Amino acid sequence: MTTPTPTTPTPTTTPPRTTGAHTPGPRTTRAHTTAPRTARPRTAAPPRTTRQRQRQRRFTLTVAVLVVMLAATVIGSAMVGQFPLAVADIVASIGRRLGLVPVDAAAQFADGALWNVRFPRIALGLIVGAALGIAGTMMQGMFGNPLAEPGVIGVSAGCAVGACAAIVFGLDWAGAATVPVAAFVFGLITTFAVYFLSRSTGRTQILTLVLTGIAVNAVASALIALCVFLADTASREQIVFWQLGSLNGASWISVATTAPFLLLGGVGALISAGKLDLLALGERQARHLGVNVERLRVVSIVCVAILTSAAVAYAGIIAFVGLIIPHLLRLLVGPSHRLLVPASALGGALLISLADMLSRTLVPFADLPIGMFTALVGGPVFFVLMRRSLRGGTGMP
Amino acid sequence: MAPIESEVIPSLPVTVTDETGTAVTITDASRIIALDLYGTLADTVVGLGLGDNLVGRGSTNTSPELADLPVVTQDGHQLNGEAVLALEPTIVLTDTSIGPREVQDQLRASGVAVVFFASTRTMDSVAEQIHAVADALGVAKAGEELAARSVQGIADAQDEIAAMTAGIDPLRIAFLYVRGNGSVFFILGEGSGADDLITSIGGNDVATAAGISGTKPANSEALLALNPELILVMSSGLESTGGLEGLLGRPGVSDTIAGQNRRVVDMNDGQVLSFGPSTGAVLHSLSAAVYAPSELRP
Repeated sequence: MTTPTPTTPTPTTTPPRTTGAHTPGPRTTRAHTTAPRTARPRTAAPPRTTRQRQRQRRFTLTVAVLVVMLAATVIGSAMVGQFPLAVADIVASIGRRLGLVPVDAAAQFADGALWNVRFPRIALGLIVGAALGIAGTMMQGMFGNPLAEPGVIGVSAGCAVGACAAIVFGLDWAGAATVPVAAFVFGLITTFAVYFLSRSTGRTQILTLVLTGIAVNAVASALIALCVFLADTASREQIVFWQLGSLNGASWISVATTAPFLLLGGVGALISAGKLDLLALGERQARHLGVNVERLRVVSIVCVAILTSAAVAYAGIIAFVGLIIPHLLRLLVGPSHRLLVPASALGGALLISLADMLSRTLVPFADLPIGMFTALVGGPVFFVLMRRSLRGGTGMP
Repeated sequence: MAPIESEVIPSLPVTVTDETGTAVTITDASRIIALDLYGTLADTVVGLGLGDNLVGRGSTNTSPELADLPVVTQDGHQLNGEAVLALEPTIVLTDTSIGPREVQDQLRASGVAVVFFASTRTMDSVAEQIHAVADALGVAKAGEELAARSVQGIADAQDEIAAMTAGIDPLRIAFLYVRGNGSVFFILGEGSGADDLITSIGGNDVATAAGISGTKPANSEALLALNPELILVMSSGLESTGGLEGLLGRPGVSDTIAGQNRRVVDMNDGQVLSFGPSTGAVLHSLSAAVYAPSELRP
């Protein structure tokens, strides 16, 4: 499944052929010439080519595998934790919550550990992972560059500034939600600042967007450094750990407040998917094909800002997911965003779930930063896939 | 930390309004976890005679009678909610120096009585905090006793110090917070607790005098300008930076009067700034180390 095999393109998809070593341009062209110009689903455009069928098959297979792995991880995650519980206890606790089993006062702590700590944390992990996966996919699609990730347009750095400021100045107007709210709002503000600063005569260019992002990121880092300087020992420690990322402290409230943003961003991503495919042909070509590139860019930036800010607000900075997950799945399902967006959502959720399972169980009484594990788990997997696909001759996406 | 002498039986339930303004009802004090960065709350519980009810400790609670308890918090902000719940506490005493805050909320949501206390630690807050902890555990009377003993201990120590320092100029002292060899090198100023501590042992806190408040990164030249005659540090901090030689190797330190005379006093991290029932003893030993080291060395 992980070794893509070269296929013979049919006459209708005749791309500029590349042999052996590959250049980015022709490949993206080849990848998208099959896309119908209208936004109708691909399956409605007969006759289907071998290539389409094969891609569809691989997508189905990948999604099936991801769903199964994700389900297994979620169930596994629910079974392990620092509160030792047998499977039967967990099932009984779920039964109690559903009203199927009578309430048991002796199980107060078990119920607490499961319903106030473990389950919301698993749910938040899924949401955060999916959001970061989708955001990364959109960024790479919008920039037409596989090195793009949400950090480029300053989202994460903006969130960090908000969180650090809230921590240092001891803000408390929203109780425990103050830091997440500050992070979310600052993330949005920073992203929109990057967009508007890079806009000139009603348009943005990718290069200016990237450069403005670099400048704004630098200012944000300076503000974070200032916060670290101003902080007392306890706040300083809090800042450091916030920047390493953690799902510790997840609650149903955090799940309920993050989920709508995932939904919003996810729908935005799916709607834009077809246009992002056309954008891969190049800006001018996309414009000729009827894509309002500027509007697509705004929609993408808004989606990325919402998704990333919501994820980062509660979880802190989790490196690597937004960059690597879309990459990895492009190797598996190909570059079409219609397939890539849902696949990346699943992939991101899977990676975060696995990483969080490790970070909350490995060291007794402690909670390890999750960013460490996303890189530790994702890095080698990515490397292996990349090597295999290089041997397979299809090159990097 | 010796507990008070009278026998203590909690009279519960009690309802207290904690530091965050939340009304908390405590019905059972049989399984206690006390969590704060300095370990003062656990120290207080022991002092109140309920040490046997503790089911977990922080890494700063280093006293031998607590040694067998599991360490719930390594340092600061990585509490694991499930792990704390697994100890099945009936009451958690804590403050904002430990987190993340959401974990305490999770505990509360799971039916554990979570009581927040003030996280400020000063000489004046000692009695007040002992009363607050005692009230939450339903042992107000024991609280009176322990608070009186602690205040008396501090007063005794201060009398002793006054006698020791009679006729000499206040010693210029700086409290440095140092960890490892990197950039964790801070000077503690006004409001950090170090100011109170230094004044209480009859010293002159050079950082506060220079207008430094809170915890500030120690700039080598600023340290030279402060020019303390004695440097206070935490024991494991000193160890982590390579002992006395390591500390003196940091730019600026060896050129101060304290550095030239190698006059550095270190004290247990968990005790030195705890401001609780042990503070009288802290002042006693610290002043002995500062003013009369040779006579009192065993």
